[in-house]
Amino acid sequence: MNVQALLQMNTIFISILIESLPFILLGVLISGIIQIFVSEEMIAKIIPKNPILSVLSAIGAGVFFLACECGIVPITRRLIAKGVPLSAAIAFMLSAPILNPIVLFSTYIAFGNSWSMVFYRGGIAFAVVLIIAFILSFQFKTNQLKQEHIEHIHHHKLTFNDKITGMFKHSIEEFFSVGKYLIIGALLAAAIQTFLKTSLLLEIGQGKLSGNAVMMALSYVMSLCSQADAFVASSFRSTFSPSSLVAFLVFGAMFDIKNTIMLLGTFKTKFVLCLMAYIFISVLGLTLLFIS
Amino acid sequence: MGRLFILLGLTFLFMHLHASGNISKYINMEYSYVSQIAIYILAIFTLMGSYLYFKEGNQEEGVDCQCGHDHSRENKKWKRNLTYFLYFIPILTGLFLPVATMDSNIVEKKGFHFPVYEDSDEYSQHQFLQPDTSLYYGKDDYLTLMDNSLKGLVDRDSLQLTDENYLNDLEAIYYSPGKFTGKQITLTGFSYNSDELAKNQVFLFRFGVIHCVADSGVFGMLIEFPEGMHPKNDEWYSVTGELESIYYQPFKKTIPLLKVSSHSKIAEPDDPYVYRQY
Repeated sequence: MNVQALLQMNTIFISILIESLPFILLGVLISGIIQIFVSEEMIAKIIPKNPILSVLSAIGAGVFFLACECGIVPITRRLIAKGVPLSAAIAFMLSAPILNPIVLFSTYIAFGNSWSMVFYRGGIAFAVVLIIAFILSFQFKTNQLKQEHIEHIHHHKLTFNDKITGMFKHSIEEFFSVGKYLIIGALLAAAIQTFLKTSLLLEIGQGKLSGNAVMMALSYVMSLCSQADAFVASSFRSTFSPSSLVAFLVFGAMFDIKNTIMLLGTFKTKFVLCLMAYIFISVLGLTLLFIS
Repeated sequence: MGRLFILLGLTFLFMHLHASGNISKYINMEYSYVSQIAIYILAIFTLMGSYLYFKEGNQEEGVDCQCGHDHSRENKKWKRNLTYFLYFIPILTGLFLPVATMDSNIVEKKGFHFPVYEDSDEYSQHQFLQPDTSLYYGKDDYLTLMDNSLKGLVDRDSLQLTDENYLNDLEAIYYSPGKFTGKQITLTGFSYNSDELAKNQVFLFRFGVIHCVADSGVFGMLIEFPEGMHPKNDEWYSVTGELESIYYQPFKKTIPLLKVSSHSKIAEPDDPYVYRQY
């Protein structure tokens, strides 16, 4: 380990923070707004009673919500605390980083103005989210947050000024509760890029099953932002099959080192591990089944 | 109080990166507005944080603010200090450590590959190893796009790869190497040795950045210098030569090779990276 490599690790670490901190800040700001201005009663009114409809509307909300896979974590936590069903909230969390217009457009550009990868990425992501929401709604009956005790806020008698200060107070609070996990995640991702030979992963295989698994593992350790990952994926297109690249694009946008650590700080460990296993299996299965 | 210093420190870090221009060594400047938004939010958080701190006193010991958080979050003092220390890492290393340039060490860890689409060797025995890439080429999209960008390039006898057109022109060359055989190409990059190559053959690479340095990868070409020359890693060269091709065993593929006719060793450019443009 030499000094130059340590400095490179630090440079990668800082660059990941520069890229993701703005989205975390926007995320905690929105979380603060939800906390103060959206009541549980409003949520209960908006979210359809039918579980299938509630998941579909959560995915619909995700489509129009410009967020990345780390910025969405504090918002999801706040929604669950406000009474959104776990399956709908997770559906929102998983669909927002992939199904939003900016990410799909960058996929279109990255693959040389081609729609086919956009459709495959969006379609597989949509199917995965449905499967996950379905399993979660049967397996987990509680909210799975680490801090289960939720205090109820009463909205009467608060002036607008009180609300604004309350909102910022909450946002800052939230920032400090998720920020540390982002920093640990970014440090870890930077260390892996600098010190581990990830190129060895590529030598494991480009076959049907192995290629998909390798690309998913790679997307996990690279911890790319979902708006940039399509460009990285497209550089692999001469050696890896479309199926494995879609696996890369879907899995990496739902799970990577950074957001695993953030999720572990927010949700119960068993829940996070289950979620990761289900997503891994369904992305692998669907891409192998439907894409050549 | 610790939190105020952290917020202030992060605000200062982001402002400093912008003001000093160092931010371009971390990210593609096309996305600099994103981190500008961060400055505003951090500044507001710092102001609101100090307002709350001085108005309501030090609440870091955990007072019910009705917001549903578990305010007993870090009860132990050492635990809280450890968390604060974590936030100071990027503030201190970002401000005081020099920015490092990605080089052959990172190439070795991340690996590299060439997006050769059209195997220029018709008798290639390795076709069966190639994945079915037909999906990438829809009828109206990639082919016409590449054909259009090729039209401008293939008519010329010589190509000059600059910072601006580096990624695009390289993509065109790898898309259809056969159309560029025999042309004069000039490019700049740092050297990278591979065990499978002759001593006078090296790769010349540049790191291409999409959003930030963390998502960068190398783009470049295999270069053959005159006999007897043996460049080390991470030396910067500007070379001109004629494009040929060679079978590269590790990739089981025929890849373009530039036979150098003139070269000069240069200092590392002010901006060693090239950036993806939309």
